[in-house]
Amino acid sequence: MNKNVIRIVSAMSLFSCMTIGFTSCQKHDENSPGVEFMPDMYRSPSLESNMAYTSLETGEEKQANMLPVKGAIARGYMPYIYGNDTAGYSNAGKYLRNPLGRTEANLKQGEELYGKFCVHCHGATGQGDGLVGGKLPGAPPSYSAGALKTLPEGKIFHSITYGKGLMGPHAPLMTQEERWKVVLFVQKLQNPGGTAPAAEANTVVPAAEGAAVPAEAPAEGKK
Amino acid sequence: MDTILIKPQRRLLAAISFLFLVLTSFNQAFAEADGAKLFKQNCAVCHSLGDNKITGPGLKGVAARVPADPWLFNWIKNNKEVIKSGDAYAKKILAEYNGADMSTFTHLTDDEINALVAFVKNPPVEVKTTTPTDEAKGPKGATEEGVNPLAILIGVIAFLIIIIGVLRGVTHSLKNIQNEKQGLPEEEAVGPWDEIKNWIVTHKTTTAVIILIILGGLLTEGWYALKGIGVYEGYQPVQPIAFSHKIHAGDNAINCQYCHSGVEKSKTAGIPSVNVCMNCHKGISSGPTTGTEEIAKIYEAAGFDPKSGEYTKPQKPIQWIKVHNLQDFVYFSHQQHVKVGKQDCANCHGDVKTMTVAKQVSPLTMGWCIDCHRKTEVPGMKDNPYYESLHKKLAEKYKGLPKEEQVITVAKMGGIDCGRCHY
Repeated sequence: MNKNVIRIVSAMSLFSCMTIGFTSCQKHDENSPGVEFMPDMYRSPSLESNMAYTSLETGEEKQANMLPVKGAIARGYMPYIYGNDTAGYSNAGKYLRNPLGRTEANLKQGEELYGKFCVHCHGATGQGDGLVGGKLPGAPPSYSAGALKTLPEGKIFHSITYGKGLMGPHAPLMTQEERWKVVLFVQKLQNPGGTAPAAEANTVVPAAEGAAVPAEAPAEGKK
Repeated sequence: MDTILIKPQRRLLAAISFLFLVLTSFNQAFAEADGAKLFKQNCAVCHSLGDNKITGPGLKGVAARVPADPWLFNWIKNNKEVIKSGDAYAKKILAEYNGADMSTFTHLTDDEINALVAFVKNPPVEVKTTTPTDEAKGPKGATEEGVNPLAILIGVIAFLIIIIGVLRGVTHSLKNIQNEKQGLPEEEAVGPWDEIKNWIVTHKTTTAVIILIILGGLLTEGWYALKGIGVYEGYQPVQPIAFSHKIHAGDNAINCQYCHSGVEKSKTAGIPSVNVCMNCHKGISSGPTTGTEEIAKIYEAAGFDPKSGEYTKPQKPIQWIKVHNLQDFVYFSHQQHVKVGKQDCANCHGDVKTMTVAKQVSPLTMGWCIDCHRKTEVPGMKDNPYYESLHKKLAEKYKGLPKEEQVITVAKMGGIDCGRCHY
């Protein structure tokens, strides 16, 4: 009899040990992707975008997304001479002209870009009724009424570049050419009737007399 | 009869007077709302009703600050005129805001501006924004703790083994009791191991079959386990900020490219820098599920002071955790897939619009890549002048094939050559 009791007790303890053993393996680190075969091929010494890394020189943690070397100019970079101030805004309205023609293709691309970068606040028809626009403290003003109806193209471009009011700068998201295409589409929304916007002046003046030309080259890179 | 007639008349009268009352009160409400509506349309982009600065100053207690009426009226209508007139207070704010003047509102009627002035002077008592309920927060902490089916199976087997052991013990002791009664000598207990050995010796074929089945099962299990190494399908790390794709891309329908704007221009789609977050969150400081808690982390990263509306604090990068990680020996370009291949984001990343926490839904294995390259046509090639001659050449090459094989897939363009991705 005694032997049997010992046997039962030992079997039960074995069972409980196994249960504990198996259930305790359940919790795993959610931030670990799993087993890596040859991890040095997944995480190589060469830096990938958006990566954090430890500096070999100083040992401190750094971000791989670094600012370009001072004075570096991106490929296709176009300088923008109007500063992010009141004078720049009014001068852009006076002198800045769209280098792109009002072609079907440009308008279509403008509409596409507008759908990606503007529509959620300004709404599909530019009435400021986008889904995000309604959640802002104040909805963006309508393009086709009030002060924005007659806003010149230079000021539209300037506002996209540096932002205006609650709107943030969109220069980092779109190239100058893309911004001009958006301007074309915004002008279409300013005049839903379909009439072309009245040009304020036909002469294209590239630079303004009073425009504040920034001392350091890339004016766009600024926040 | 009379009384019966009178009753409905009375009711009618009562109903009409009630309606009148309701209508007049509605009218009053409408007149009040007019100022609120105008404020939201024209002013709220730059001014808050509190004391925090957005672009212009907060308007709390503005009536006490500014000169006597009609200064505020004139200022709203055309502030440039007021500045030109040499007004001292106008000059003072202009200097305070570094010469950044306010927009003019000459398109508003005098009545509208009066309504605005009245609204700004006596703003409604701020309705407390609903704080997120605990219910909404609930599922965040509770992670699912499913029980491994294998553990259950092993548990059941162990349980059965114990029962067999106990029963064997019981039969043995019963038999001994019987033997004792009949005066037979006590039977010696045979250990379970000896019994199993005896059984194996007598049932050689069955044992061989059982061993083969167990071995086969183990080998297949092991094979699949090995194949799963390095495949992170279902990987869903917890990010430093509880950013929800569902709220942004789903509920608010923000285009993927608004934040991942590199996708058509670069190898990587890119994790948006904090200034992209701030494009909207400069104005939106409270979210539907986590309230201000998570958005405050963006402000901290951007060095933004929500009180003054300016970037005055030091910036700290957010260390997002990469979900989709391709091995370093594979070249993959988002630009090529999205711009030329016209692939929808969801083809590889799944229905991100419904994901609260971003998750990897595709295996990202080489077989998965090649499978798609064999099936997929390249729609962006037809009308792209860069590929014109190549497309013509390929169309000529596959002319003779049956119709469904004439489709110029990625594979037919050399999209499954080793060197296309591994170099």
